[in-house]
Amino acid sequence: MSPSLIITAYSLLFLLLFSVSLFVFIIVRRLVLEQRKVQFDRLYKQIEKDILEAISLLDPDFSLGVARKYGRHRAVLTRVLLDFGDIIVGEGRDQLRIIFNQAIRGRCLRGVASRRTTKRLQSIRLFIIFFDPVDSAFLFRLLDDKPIIKLAVINALARIPSPETMRQIFKAFEEDTGFTVQAYFNIIFGLGSRTEPLVKAFLNKPLPVDKLGLLVELVGAIPLQTLYEDVVALAGHPDKEIRIRVARTLGKLLIPKTVDTLIALSSDGAWEVKAQAVKSLGRMKNLKTLDVLERSLFSPFWYVRYNAGYGLAEIGEEGVRRLKEVAGQEEDRYARDMSVMVLNDMIFPGEAA
Amino acid sequence: MSDVLHAILHSVNIVILIYFFLINAFYLLFTVLSLFGLFRHRELTTYISFKEIFRLPLVKPISIIAPAHNEEKTIIESVNSLLALEYPVFEVIVVNDGSTDQTLGALVRSFQLEKSRRVFRKVVDHKPVKGIYTSPSHPKLVVVDKVNGKKADAMNAGLNISRYPLFCAVDGDSLLEKDALLKMVRPFLEDPEKTVAAGGVIRLSNCCMVKCGQVQEVRLPCNALARFQILEYFRAFLGGRIGMSMLKSVLIVSGAFGLFRKDIALQCGGYRVESIGEDMDLIVRMRRHLHNMKRPFEIRFIPDPICWTEAPETLKCLSRQRNRWHRGLLDTLLHNKSMLFNPRYGITGLFAMPFYFVFEMLGPFIELLGYIMFAACITLGLVNYPFAVLFFLVAVVLGTLLSLLSILLGEYSSECYPRRQDILILTLFSLLENILYRQWLTLVRVLAFFDFYRGKEEWGAMQKKGFAQAR
Repeated sequence: MSPSLIITAYSLLFLLLFSVSLFVFIIVRRLVLEQRKVQFDRLYKQIEKDILEAISLLDPDFSLGVARKYGRHRAVLTRVLLDFGDIIVGEGRDQLRIIFNQAIRGRCLRGVASRRTTKRLQSIRLFIIFFDPVDSAFLFRLLDDKPIIKLAVINALARIPSPETMRQIFKAFEEDTGFTVQAYFNIIFGLGSRTEPLVKAFLNKPLPVDKLGLLVELVGAIPLQTLYEDVVALAGHPDKEIRIRVARTLGKLLIPKTVDTLIALSSDGAWEVKAQAVKSLGRMKNLKTLDVLERSLFSPFWYVRYNAGYGLAEIGEEGVRRLKEVAGQEEDRYARDMSVMVLNDMIFPGEAA
Repeated sequence: MSDVLHAILHSVNIVILIYFFLINAFYLLFTVLSLFGLFRHRELTTYISFKEIFRLPLVKPISIIAPAHNEEKTIIESVNSLLALEYPVFEVIVVNDGSTDQTLGALVRSFQLEKSRRVFRKVVDHKPVKGIYTSPSHPKLVVVDKVNGKKADAMNAGLNISRYPLFCAVDGDSLLEKDALLKMVRPFLEDPEKTVAAGGVIRLSNCCMVKCGQVQEVRLPCNALARFQILEYFRAFLGGRIGMSMLKSVLIVSGAFGLFRKDIALQCGGYRVESIGEDMDLIVRMRRHLHNMKRPFEIRFIPDPICWTEAPETLKCLSRQRNRWHRGLLDTLLHNKSMLFNPRYGITGLFAMPFYFVFEMLGPFIELLGYIMFAACITLGLVNYPFAVLFFLVAVVLGTLLSLLSILLGEYSSECYPRRQDILILTLFSLLENILYRQWLTLVRVLAFFDFYRGKEEWGAMQKKGFAQAR
């Protein structure tokens, strides 16, 4: 036999063995998973029943009994605790915490140090749900882990909005770079108005544009109305992204004193800022803005005209009258068409909003 | 003379052999990378709950653009599926691209559409719009009736009419899973500056039971051709694109389901109306534009979001579809040939484009050359039969192995078929596809090359059966 034939024959043999093993693996894996699922579901139902009883009895001894009974089936118990932990609050969660501390906590502590990210994340999620202030120092140490773990930890810390944890969250926000910055929005947003002093302090810091923009956006999203002056101070920021966000935030805060700032922004050099300012002016429902909105209907920029049209519609009777006027004129067909569209859309409930 | 002929045949055989090893090595590499990609994706989704994404105040609104041409059998189910999506703010723009059937009539009747005087910004060119329809009962739905262009033309009309900063391109005959948009938008939240496009997994809906625009029961198609295509989709989406995404080399975000940043797409001039494969063409031009601007960017492939679409079940329809796909590939690669092997375009110019050029565009020719060489060797009595048989078996088993690996990827990404015997059937079909089906597809793709040079512009319309309804 020639060498090429031998090589081909061995290749075929190897590939054949590999393919057959792979096929067997897929089938066996499927069988094992199906089997496990049946056992898992059966056990899940049992644990679920006992946990529901523990939640209704509110008896710590009963909860301890549940923990002992299912201590051996940690995977299923963990799953049940994760599912219930997210929806049960108050005294019911205290019972779940008893079960967690008795049966899972030790394993979770080991899980946090696991090399497998999934395991680390699952453990941290449990710590997030059953957070105990004594764990905060331990969690602070995890802030040096990889970004996804760090985020999970910060999420855990956000559950205990103490001054120290909030300081840690903002410190991490200041130091972090990259895609995680966006995730802080969710975390800080969840903390609500408690963050006001820190947001105020950070708005006055020299932060990169993405972080500053995020904070401005937060002021509008939470909303933190007392910080409107800090936001107005950024209306002249050289970066247009910040000016856009300022305009948007002011449209959410709806402080009458900020109308002049928005009117100034509506004649900004960047059309994106103009469009956002006009949109926010519409939300203000202030008769003072009627002229600006009507003028904006004649803007060469489509989005400015669009926002101006819907802005006038939001103001109500007087706005609609102005829209009808523009719809009746012939000098600028773009302004006319936009007005006609807005008026037409107002027939459908919800469209003009 | 005979020696010269032998030497030529020998050299060509060596080239074909090297090509065979290289292409399979790349496919294996992509599959291994996909496996890592899937595990990484699973880790991330352990932490990020999609319900949280729903609540995020910074989630960008999405315009879903669905071009439809003669889709009367599937359009209502598709639009229902789109309107039922779970996402905070979105609009559905159906572009009726000059249908000659009852597509528009069916939409008007089912959604109580009324003609609207909506105005829009014409940023990119397209054929004239005959009317825009909105519905008082479905405020998220906008139907645009326009003169027939091609799919790219219809997409451009949708782009002009859309209001939101992200747009999702879907086919008029596709069904999206309820949480598909929430999953797809994740990279745009993680890195809003860099992420410019994201693609999702497409699966075949043939024989699946559909209710209220959602697939209720996943079943393996009864049709043999559709079963072959299942394997191809598995290999392409789970094996190929996740692997390419890991190498930052995604060149195709399927036109049946892709999410894009509108500003970047508009900066590139929207869809190229003359393009045949508008989905690949847009991505390549986006890449080119962003490389030229020296802007860092990412085009991601997400293994989770699922879009269901009907596969052709007759040889005629399938050959039309594949002919168009291959013409689209040729058109895009040739239109952007200056990017090939051009270091200015980074990994796109040095790896992604050359890969598609050598292995996808020239692949059918080299495969055909292999068959011709084999025939020539038989005629000249040069065939070493034991070697030829063994080599054929190696090729078949290697092909089956790649299919099995993609089935395994499907198992890990929970996109498997529920019944155990389905795996057996798919494995059997992965063996069978090497006999006749593969050779037929090679021929179709070679013929597409000639059609392309003859300037054929036929779209390749497909006969639709419609979705099977669950009780």
